[in-house]
Amino acid sequence: MDDLREQVELLESTANLTATINDVQKAIDLLAAARAKIAADQQTAPLTLAKLQGPLKQAMEQATKDLKPIYSGLGKYGKALDKKFKDKPLPTAENDALSSHPQLINRAIAMHLLREGQFSVASTFLEEANRHPPHPEPTPNTPNPYLREAWEKEMADGSFNSHKLQKQFEEMYHILHALRQKKNLAPAIAWARERSKLLEDRGSNLEFELCRLQFVCLFVGRDEEGFMDMTDSAVGPLRAWAYARSEFGPFQGRYARQVQELMGAMAFFPNVVDSPYRRYFYNDSAWEEVANSFTREFCSLLGLSADSPLYIAATAGAIALPTLLKLQNIMKEKRTEWTTQNELPVEIPLPSSYNFHSIFVCPVSKEQSTDQNPAMMMPCGHVIAQESLDKLSKGARFKCPYCPSESHPRDAKKVFL
Amino acid sequence: MAEITTPKLNAESHLLLDQPLLRLPYELSRRTFKNAQRYLDRDTKDLLATLQTTTASATKTSAPTATLDALDAMIAKMQGLKRKLEVLHDDENKINKSSKARIAHLQELFEVQGLEDVRYEEWSRVRLARLLVDYLLRSGYSESAAHLAAEKGIEELVDVDAFVACQKIERSLREGRRTNEALAWCAAHGQGLKKVGSSLEFELRLQQYIELVRAGHEVDGGDGQKLAEARNHAKKYLSGSGDFELLGKAAGLLAYRPWDGVEPYASLYSPSQWDHLATLFLSTHHTLYSLPPRPLLHIALSAGLSALKTPSCHSAYTSASGQANTSSKSVCPICSTELNELARNVPYAHHTKSNVENDPVVLPNGRIYGSERLQSYNEKVGTEKGWVRDPVGGAAGEKWRESDVRKVFIM
Repeated sequence: MDDLREQVELLESTANLTATINDVQKAIDLLAAARAKIAADQQTAPLTLAKLQGPLKQAMEQATKDLKPIYSGLGKYGKALDKKFKDKPLPTAENDALSSHPQLINRAIAMHLLREGQFSVASTFLEEANRHPPHPEPTPNTPNPYLREAWEKEMADGSFNSHKLQKQFEEMYHILHALRQKKNLAPAIAWARERSKLLEDRGSNLEFELCRLQFVCLFVGRDEEGFMDMTDSAVGPLRAWAYARSEFGPFQGRYARQVQELMGAMAFFPNVVDSPYRRYFYNDSAWEEVANSFTREFCSLLGLSADSPLYIAATAGAIALPTLLKLQNIMKEKRTEWTTQNELPVEIPLPSSYNFHSIFVCPVSKEQSTDQNPAMMMPCGHVIAQESLDKLSKGARFKCPYCPSESHPRDAKKVFL
Repeated sequence: MAEITTPKLNAESHLLLDQPLLRLPYELSRRTFKNAQRYLDRDTKDLLATLQTTTASATKTSAPTATLDALDAMIAKMQGLKRKLEVLHDDENKINKSSKARIAHLQELFEVQGLEDVRYEEWSRVRLARLLVDYLLRSGYSESAAHLAAEKGIEELVDVDAFVACQKIERSLREGRRTNEALAWCAAHGQGLKKVGSSLEFELRLQQYIELVRAGHEVDGGDGQKLAEARNHAKKYLSGSGDFELLGKAAGLLAYRPWDGVEPYASLYSPSQWDHLATLFLSTHHTLYSLPPRPLLHIALSAGLSALKTPSCHSAYTSASGQANTSSKSVCPICSTELNELARNVPYAHHTKSNVENDPVVLPNGRIYGSERLQSYNEKVGTEKGWVRDPVGGAAGEKWRESDVRKVFIM
């Protein structure tokens, strides 16, 4: 990289058109001087003009000569680029399995912009995309587009419901803004309370976490809108107490212990800093944690992942690409492309945060379980794939490959990971 | 059994997607340089020639005003040249500045510790914005592209202007059915076109010929004037190509009218020729400026979808993992609405080892969970002691006795 930077800096500082422009100016000066002379004394015209020939030619030659450093500078920079990208070919169209679905990509982008809170860009985009719907450009050798056209139509005729989605994400950003910037929990608590049942079903303790934070806030002297109230140090704990009495009732069942702890802290109110409850009251990351947990729940309830899938997929793609290109070169010799296969032929090493599903690989056949070849658990508790089970058992009692127990294939049970 | 490996970040090989980022400004710089050279060469030649003739005429006759006028013209010409060079100099500065910004942006990647470094995430978000802008520009959504670039503050890392210029010419062909913009572009890129052996200029000239012939046929009674013009055009621009089969077809156009519907002439007359020209122009443009033929976003996404996809993402059965039924987990990006349909056609990732939660147990309905997650879920929803619920079923779903939950062995 340093090499490239040096080359560009060289172009910028010395190898540019400044010298040539100055040369041209010199030529203009020469011409102007000659003109002045002739205008003053017309008799000198032939002589002046004849004398002008040489210098003017020289000036112009100098101008051309001064282009040379640019030429060689560009040449060197070009070479440095070639070197940098020597073994990194430009990705070709063969790696592109998506050109047949421009509508789906557009939708993904629109949703990405909305969820990132870029509402004005999103509306510019939707407007433009509806004005000029894209043309699919299928790549040869890639599977036919899967057509369930509902979405494509919605995008095409402009009824893609960005409005609803935008409203939802606007709400999310509104709540997040209140949480992060204003330390105001009220909108988040209102949101969580409305969805109390849903959140509870998911085993989410978001609502309680929010209320607990509200309690802490009141305790240390903020009012319900997040403003600090400095009038009296005893006011905070009293407010918190009142809040707990009115709000914590529904949490008694599931969060009895946590509520007790908060109540216990009341006893230490003049000096919480030195009490065992300090961690609840002076925890700077609590706001960020609650905000993240809120984002996750909000998106999950919409059936969306918490981080932009487009971001995750593009990043995973960049990580995977070197491996895939290497693979492509090998497969080219065999005249197939990876996009036509059901499964990638090599493992792509991704960071563990990119694992979202459990993976079952049959220990016998080394294949992943699929709908057609599901994971089966034998009575002994070992799991193998259906096909392996059929092969091993041939329909009769057989021994588990991993322990001494025997069983009949019909006793094996389909399991889901 | 979950493997804890963090793949290392290899910045060098990570730059695969970023070559065009530096290539395009480089090609633009070369273009600027060539233009400067061309202007200078042409004007120098003119200037010296004019000076010579002026000198000659000044010695012969003595019409002083003529000499002064000639000198004024020369000065004006040089000032014009200087202005043009100054414009190019501004471009040059702009390009160099953006090249420097891009190199600095790529340099950041070399300073990132690993894939889980926060700075990598920041960098990758900028990259996504770049890829999106590239996609938007290629799809012709230049307003959105400019808007996004401005909002993200990455104007120096994207090439809105270059694409807008390219798109203008493309539209002039596809929608305006005009060849002049494209031909002007060909003239400016003559050398480059010759180098890659492009047939763009020839095809544009052929289209001009076709349009002349069409006009000739459409003029009722056709006095042949238009057709004669077409013949001259062909003589001038087409006969040198040496492709006699095509020339034969072109000649046949003179005999067959557009509405006769006789092949192969009908397809030459067809308006789809313009789409073909527009596409040819785009691919020629992209080759000349070292731009990949397809949006980089497609390339990154196809690879990413495959790397992330698992058989469960499009399974008919509800999987126990991946779904966000429990609040500890986020929805899988491939299962998320945005990408699910797109990912349907790509292959799923290859795995050689099972990767399941620690200490897996199976519920009587066949779903497998890590026992810890199952337990904490049931605590949170407040399932009665001694009973278990499936997170997929929710707090009101079926419940089983704890003793019915079995250990399962996944090798």
